[in-house]
Amino acid sequence: MKTEYRIIIVGAGIVGCSIAYHLAKFGESDVLVLEKNYISSGSTGRCAGGIRQQWSSPHNVLLAMRSVKLFERMREETGFDIEYRQGGYLVLSYDEQEAAQFEENVKMQKNLGLNVELLTPNQVKQRFEYVNVEKVLLATFCPTDGHANPHLANFAYAFAARKLGVTILTHTEVLAIEPTGSKFKVHTSRGRFEAKIVVNAAGAYAGQVGSMVNVNLPLESYRHQILVTEPIRNFFDPMLISFSGNFYIRQTKHGHFIMGQGDKDERPGLNYNVTFKFEKDLAKKMCWLLPFLRTLRVVRHWSGHYNMSPDAQPIIGESPELANFYYAVGFSGHGFMLAPAVGEALAEKVLFGETKHVSIAELNVDRFERSTVRETNVV
Amino acid sequence: MVKTQLLVVGGGPAGLCGAIEASRRGVETLIVDEGVELGGQLVKQTHKFFGHEGFYASVRGFEIAKRLKDQLNEHVKIMLQTTVTGIYEDVVVLYDRQNDVPLEVQADYILLATGASERFIQFENNHLPGVYGAGAVQTLMNQFMVLPGRRFLMVGSGNIGLIVSYQLLQAGAEVAAIVEIADRIGGYDVHLRKIKRFGIPVLLRHTIKKALGQEKVSGAIVVQVDENFQPIEGTEKEFAVDAICIATGLVPSVELAAMANVKIEYVPELGGFVPYRDQNMRTNVENIFIAGDLAGIEEATTAMIEGRIAGLTIAQSITKANLSREIESLQRELIEFRSGPFSEKVRRGLAKFFPQRVVEYSREPQVDSGPVGKLRPIIECYENIPCNPCQTSCPTGAIVVGGNINSLPKIDYEKCTGCGICVSKCPGLAIFMVQENVEPGFDLVIVPYEMLPVPEEGERVIALDRDGKQVCEAQVIRIVRFPHKTNLVHLKVPAGYATRVRNFRVKKQENVFVCKCEEVTLEDIEKAIDLGFTDYEELRRYLRIGMGMCGGRTCRSLVLSILSRKLGKSPEELLKGHFRPPVMPTKFESILRGESNED
Ligand SMILES: Cc1cc2nc3c(=O)[nH]c(=O)nc-3n(C[C@H](O)[C@H](O)[C@H](O)COP(=O)(O)OP(=O)(O)OC[C@H]3O[C@@H](n4cnc5c(N)ncnc54)[C@H](O)[C@@H]3O)c2cc1C
Ligand SMILES: Cc1cc2nc3c(=O)[nH]c(=O)nc-3n(C[C@H](O)[C@H](O)[C@H](O)COP(=O)(O)OP(=O)(O)OC[C@H]3O[C@@H](n4cnc5c(N)ncnc54)[C@H](O)[C@@H]3O)c2cc1C
Ligand code: SF4
Ligand code: SF4
Repeated sequence: MKTEYRIIIVGAGIVGCSIAYHLAKFGESDVLVLEKNYISSGSTGRCAGGIRQQWSSPHNVLLAMRSVKLFERMREETGFDIEYRQGGYLVLSYDEQEAAQFEENVKMQKNLGLNVELLTPNQVKQRFEYVNVEKVLLATFCPTDGHANPHLANFAYAFAARKLGVTILTHTEVLAIEPTGSKFKVHTSRGRFEAKIVVNAAGAYAGQVGSMVNVNLPLESYRHQILVTEPIRNFFDPMLISFSGNFYIRQTKHGHFIMGQGDKDERPGLNYNVTFKFEKDLAKKMCWLLPFLRTLRVVRHWSGHYNMSPDAQPIIGESPELANFYYAVGFSGHGFMLAPAVGEALAEKVLFGETKHVSIAELNVDRFERSTVRETNVV
Repeated sequence: MVKTQLLVVGGGPAGLCGAIEASRRGVETLIVDEGVELGGQLVKQTHKFFGHEGFYASVRGFEIAKRLKDQLNEHVKIMLQTTVTGIYEDVVVLYDRQNDVPLEVQADYILLATGASERFIQFENNHLPGVYGAGAVQTLMNQFMVLPGRRFLMVGSGNIGLIVSYQLLQAGAEVAAIVEIADRIGGYDVHLRKIKRFGIPVLLRHTIKKALGQEKVSGAIVVQVDENFQPIEGTEKEFAVDAICIATGLVPSVELAAMANVKIEYVPELGGFVPYRDQNMRTNVENIFIAGDLAGIEEATTAMIEGRIAGLTIAQSITKANLSREIESLQRELIEFRSGPFSEKVRRGLAKFFPQRVVEYSREPQVDSGPVGKLRPIIECYENIPCNPCQTSCPTGAIVVGGNINSLPKIDYEKCTGCGICVSKCPGLAIFMVQENVEPGFDLVIVPYEMLPVPEEGERVIALDRDGKQVCEAQVIRIVRFPHKTNLVHLKVPAGYATRVRNFRVKKQENVFVCKCEEVTLEDIEKAIDLGFTDYEELRRYLRIGMGMCGGRTCRSLVLSILSRKLGKSPEELLKGHFRPPVMPTKFESILRGESNED
């Protein structure tokens, strides 16, 4: 078995696989992806699959806009139908301060070239009659937002990368990483590998992987629960979300409704259990918002993790302390949608020393030494 | 929020026995079962159980359930038609189907006795209506009195396949054949003989290749297999049947145990993935116990003993009373029961959890066939199975199953009075009475008979031999009827035929049928594996297997077996699936109702 590679990526979630795919696409296939479980076993396989460009931070807007371009081409590029659907994102606000902020955000988003509009509660009702707009103050809508099947998107990148010569080893856990100056020795549950460059794309475990080489990344993982209903006729186009209302919901291609909410009492840590309280709280809220849900049955309920950074924006780049150690971590609940653009940008950075499509210069860890503005559009 | 000291999930024999022992010691117990009545598999069983008389062998399944229910006391609350949908981090959630509400429970101890679900197999068109699991056939036939076909092909010759075949005959259906992929019968010889007497062919080293039909089953193609269980081209046979019954085994229903963080291990000898437990039925989670088929596919007797051990151990933990004497004596019963050759596999499986012991049993068969001319029983039971009702039912002590329940029965004709009780009690229908020269030129044969219609006295019937072949004509001269029991039909046969006649045939009645279907796919799976989805979880997510309403109960083992066959890896290497609540889909409005109930 080959044990030396130019680049080793830790984690075969969508981020790791997107980086691997883009490296190979740009001509570098001497890449090994190490995954401790199986492809899509991490947060990617547990997420809602929402793809949204309406952010409060310009970095996130730009990365998301670039990702949308790449999602649009994904079927053609990878040969996988990832069930991508651009039905728009309808964002509801129930809070005056937030509503005011939305007006600002929309200006900024439009300036960056995004097609997005403000809607009154009445306009929402006219377009989406099934939504209860009681208490809604304001809404925004971007028609090119949408969603995709996260498993399939993860597989699409993984299989396309493999086709281009990348090796992905599943059930191989990285246990320690030893920098030796010119290269890294990567110790795994299936033996030792070596590489010039290591990329940390370990999702909820990114902090741990950083500390293997004493690179301190200010990250904390928080459990997020999510559930899915039985399928019904497909009619629900947009992904519906609210930060002040604390929920998101969408209908999948097969007709299931996927939904979730955050929990401000959740403490940091890795926890894969689920609580019945979550089902009760969500049932109450969602049946009020979308009364047709009442008779639908919940078929599965699980949890995954948001890997949070202090400003809820990803941390991407090469470590200022340790050369050739890269990371794309801290996605704070929106790594699925950012993965295409981030994978592309990081691959460009590694291979060409600079990005060609979107800048990630402001997203390295050293930004926390300066002042940063927290992303607020997060459930 | 309901609080209880002990929550028993599953009211089959294992759960009931756990509840009986715990409640007897004052433990407040809540039994939850999703069925319409208590008893689990027992209520579907119309046959007399083999096993230990002390544990209701020779009593019919549904009657055992009644007797167990009668032993529950005032400390027990029962919730039926209620599914435990999840063991969450915060609470256990029950979903009451009748009132359509969820209920939250906090329990100090949990006994999981959720039994098993059926293992399916792959073949072409296995999604066609008319392909049923044996459990579904039993439920329709024995609980709802609907016969889902007229003529069946049975796949699998374990005890379930044999017993369900027999029950189908009882219900008036035909069984075209039983196919078995292995080179020997999986179930007990006595059960095999019961159906062979009706002339039903058993094809060893055969499996089903394809169900025929457009909208529903109209036939089946069966094929011979080589020593690697691969079909041999050119050996296909076609059967005209309108139903196919799959009885290829059971898999423990481990979902809830897995959710509760109980360690799940792959032990094929016990049925596949099973929860870890110790000799007291305690899992690695201090307050969670398991028993019965969930702990390993076995039988009702062992399920009951395990349930009792779990109930006693829980009572001991709660009340601090010393119950070790009772527990140890039950553990000894288990050892004796599992000492026979049929438990060899189970012992091998259990040895992965703790060391196994065996006790000796006798392999010596009966040789003496008794004094010619005397009315006397002939015992045709030649296999060491854990069974003894012949011994315990004989009023004169003429039959002895020496030393250990796995020994062979022996009869002392000196002591036998010819009363015939053993014939009606033997659950294997392995005992017959004969008397030569009852009338000049005629012998008497008394056969146990459980079919309908019961012939009239005086009626002429066709006498059959052990393989169901016609041998002569016989006359019914007397019928001794037992309420809910086996009727003893006295047949007058030509002299010399007493040693051959073991059954008879009367005209059958026709029955109405209804059908329902199960759906499984295969081609997509194989394609995906070829694409490179060689990890069970990846495959599942790619094809959305197990993401439907059933939560993957049936397809899990199917997919694992396809993968395992294609990749030559054991299912263990292929990783176990995760189990996500709720076990049963629950409506939002029901969840809401639970919430408002509590306010
Ligand atoms: C409930 C929920 C809903 C979400 N909804 C959305 C949404 O709608 N839109 C969106 O964009 N995002 C959403 N997210 C966030 C999104 O899931 C993540 O940001 C994204 O999946 C991160 O991808 P990743 O590849 O970085 O991480 P992961 O998918 O977690 O992949 C990391 C991989 O690294 C592996 N790994 C870790 N440590 C090691 C090691 N030592 N050795 C080897 N392998 C290792 C892990 O096993 C894992 O497979 C949601 C998250 C959750 C939990
Ligand atoms: C055709 C056939 C013939 C048999 N013949 C014999 C025989 O002759 N002698 C013999 O000893 N054994 C026999 N057995 C085996 C015997 O029936 C089983 O071993 C025994 O019933 C196992 O008992 P149990 O309590 O573990 O499980 P079960 O009897 O299967 O009971 C499990 C119960 O749990 C309930 N349940 C499961 N999940 C949930 C949930 N989430 N919430 C609420 N309730 C739940 C189910 O509804 C069920 O009532 C036979 C089995 C079959 C199928
Ligand atoms: S016929 Fe009666 S006495 Fe004789 S062995 Fe049977 S039960 Fe015993
Ligand atoms: S003869 Fe005895 S041991 Fe054999 S099946 Fe009948 S009752 Fe059981």
